[in-house]
Amino acid sequence: MSLNLDKSLIGSEFDHTEFPPVTAEHIREYAAAAFETNPRHLTANDAELVAPPTYVVSLRGRHFMPGNLLTVLNLRRGFDAGKDIECGVPVRVGDVLTATSTVHDIYEKTGRSGSMVFVVLRTKITNQRGESAAVIDQKLMMR
Amino acid sequence: MILDLHTHSEASEDSRAPVETYLKWLQRKRAEVPIDGLVLTEHRQWDPHADYRALEDKYDLLILRGAEVETDYGHVLVYGVNRDIARRFDFTNIRLSAAELIPAVTDMGGIALPCHPGRPTVGLCAHYESKPAIEGVIAVEALNGGSRRGENERVQALIDRYGYKAFGGSDSHLVSFVGICATEFDRDIGSVDDLVSELREGVYRPVDFRANLAKRAAS
Repeated sequence: MSLNLDKSLIGSEFDHTEFPPVTAEHIREYAAAAFETNPRHLTANDAELVAPPTYVVSLRGRHFMPGNLLTVLNLRRGFDAGKDIECGVPVRVGDVLTATSTVHDIYEKTGRSGSMVFVVLRTKITNQRGESAAVIDQKLMMR
Repeated sequence: MILDLHTHSEASEDSRAPVETYLKWLQRKRAEVPIDGLVLTEHRQWDPHADYRALEDKYDLLILRGAEVETDYGHVLVYGVNRDIARRFDFTNIRLSAAELIPAVTDMGGIALPCHPGRPTVGLCAHYESKPAIEGVIAVEALNGGSRRGENERVQALIDRYGYKAFGGSDSHLVSFVGICATEFDRDIGSVDDLVSELREGVYRPVDFRANLAKRAAS
């Protein structure tokens, strides 16, 4: 592993995706798959239906991470190290959501198995009114 | 006086424990975990503006702050961090020189002590197998609540050989782990200066409350 970690990608935007309007069908499908039982997410009428808070992680932009991430960091592999979701306004039927993803942080740490690099990819999801629906920090552990 | 000398709150990237929730938990578990306070030792950082006095007053527990940094001899807890120490050492650097850090921190009014020494890769024992001993080490974390089987046991040989003092800490990253291992001091501690002084010169020992919790859970 490089002794001089290149952090130049921090702050760079690697994806900006506008999604089709949220449908009641998609909300109900997600809620059922997540074993939700609250009627607000399942059986409410379309006007009152609200997506579960974790619904936003089902949205996929065009790029999961910067195409040159592994090259810049001089690393070969990695895995999902978890995600934090800061929930914003509720997601409702008809919302047009936009996801903007940037490299939020790159840092190193050491543990029992040696040194490793963590990359935090931050995705901000906003609705058609510019309100924050969620901020998702996706961590990747790489070495 | 009993303090947990090694804890991580949500300020550390791998912890989900809010400081106040630690305190609420300790209030509830007073019988099993009779500690008087804790030291927040966040990973690779030092926030000079963090202020927990309101929480101290609310919960009647002492909250002190230190840091856990990473060196070429494993992880090290730094107590008594001040502006001089924070300016001289980049805490985000995972390759700090322990031989430089430990005496320099002492010179600048703090104390730096290796933690979880029995842990592979990031513990002092592993590094002493291939490198010379570091000058200036006063004590090691002989009892770490996050250690796996056999890791704490390795530390006794280190203590016997080098005459280090022993202390304990939970290394908690989750609320229910706070205080499971701690350090009992013969004298009272009211400030971080007191803590540094006692760790340097005082009498203390690691204490383990895991049996209390297990006994309570079984009853």
